Amino acid sequence: MTTAKDPFGQFAVTVGVVNARAVLAVRGEVDRVNAPELGAILDAVIERHRSVVLDLAELGFMNGWGLGVIAARASRLKRSGGTLTIRSPSAMVLRLLDITGVAEVVLLEHPDPRRGHLGAEQSSAIADALLGTEPYHLPPHVGKITAIPADTDVVDGALRLVVALARATVGAADGVSVSLRRHGHLATVAASDQTISDMDASQYATGEGPCVDASVKGRWFHAESLDTETRWPTFTLRAQALGINAGLSSPLLAEDRPVGALNIYSRTAMAFAPKDQELASVFAVETSLILTSAGVDVTDEQLSRRRSETLWARRVLAQAEGVIMERESVETDDAYRMLCDYSRRSNQPFRECAQDVVASTQRPQFDPEPGPKHSHNG
Amino acid sequence: MAETSAAEQPADVLDQYRRAAGLSHGDLWLRYFELGGMSNAMELEAFLYGALQPSPHDREVIAHALNERFVELGGNHPVPYSESDTVGRRYKSGQR
Repeated sequence: MTTAKDPFGQFAVTVGVVNARAVLAVRGEVDRVNAPELGAILDAVIERHRSVVLDLAELGFMNGWGLGVIAARASRLKRSGGTLTIRSPSAMVLRLLDITGVAEVVLLEHPDPRRGHLGAEQSSAIADALLGTEPYHLPPHVGKITAIPADTDVVDGALRLVVALARATVGAADGVSVSLRRHGHLATVAASDQTISDMDASQYATGEGPCVDASVKGRWFHAESLDTETRWPTFTLRAQALGINAGLSSPLLAEDRPVGALNIYSRTAMAFAPKDQELASVFAVETSLILTSAGVDVTDEQLSRRRSETLWARRVLAQAEGVIMERESVETDDAYRMLCDYSRRSNQPFRECAQDVVASTQRPQFDPEPGPKHSHNG
Repeated sequence: MAETSAAEQPADVLDQYRRAAGLSHGDLWLRYFELGGMSNAMELEAFLYGALQPSPHDREVIAHALNERFVELGGNHPVPYSESDTVGRRYKSGQR
């Protein structure tokens, strides 16, 4: 058995022979610096062995350089009638192998599923395949996940848990609820108490309020103090009558479509500090992941609409770039950068900025140096 | 997410931002494509994991797609716009 190490002790290769197969166990990180060394070791082994196993169980990281070295040796072995087997690849390596097509020329093996590195995002096809000890070829569509819609009761139970946790951890929260679009209509599926549930219901009925806007527009809405709130007059009166003085609604997404909102209310004006806002955001993200996994109420029509909107936005972007190129006498990349800067400075979504630029062809000027705005919170 | 210099960042730092933003790979690709990104979904994944190096333009588009999502959630441009950048951090500590 021989071993090669880099001077920093991160990268190491141990070579041995097991059952007439040469086994190279790689540890640490394989990158631009040490990939040639791995290649040299593989070359030396391939000269004497037709069946080579690359054990990556202890591999920390590998980039394209390492992959290139492996791909070249795998192809050479295959041409000469030999085989290169990748043992215990991590999720990242599996994806790399598939992306680059190297999976076509190697065998994959995972002798002990308990040592697997599979993350939550791996397809069940891979997971199943890894359970066997026989070498297998990677399925052609890595990463395709077949979502099984979860039972509504299970989803509602998870959402009630989210509400309870948010109520307990967001310091300023006096009431929490989750609004969700079901069968085309918003409904409160979990609420900390009846008052909160009633307040949500009145927003659905009037079509006005932070939880409705967050659910429909997919952006957060923060009513810092209802004393000065002007966006939702009907909601404001109703909420103040119930003793509420501040509200924070964060959007819930499934398949990147807004499907509802996480609503946190407080009796105290200006109650939600930045830390509370961050916590609300974390809860909204995690809840969105639950909803996405559950395949909640996102129809093919909605997905199709999302894709159409994307193509339309690309078209507007191209038009906006053209307008800026002509006006500022700049190239495409510079036009894009100016648009990007405009979006960042104005805190306005990119697509709205592009629309502004295109619309400005009907007006005398487009101002590329706007002052800060708070479009989502204003 | 803690701020570190580019040299200290893990290879999959962009994927960590994606997870923090609650976007699936498909969702992020759609947003990236909408913002003018030209790489396919698999290439984008490779950028996120640090397996492939995105062009400066691609890096900027990915950062912007992620930052727009963070803004939707009430955040403020936490993702640096380039590896040497500072713009994202400047915005992060800026207005909210």
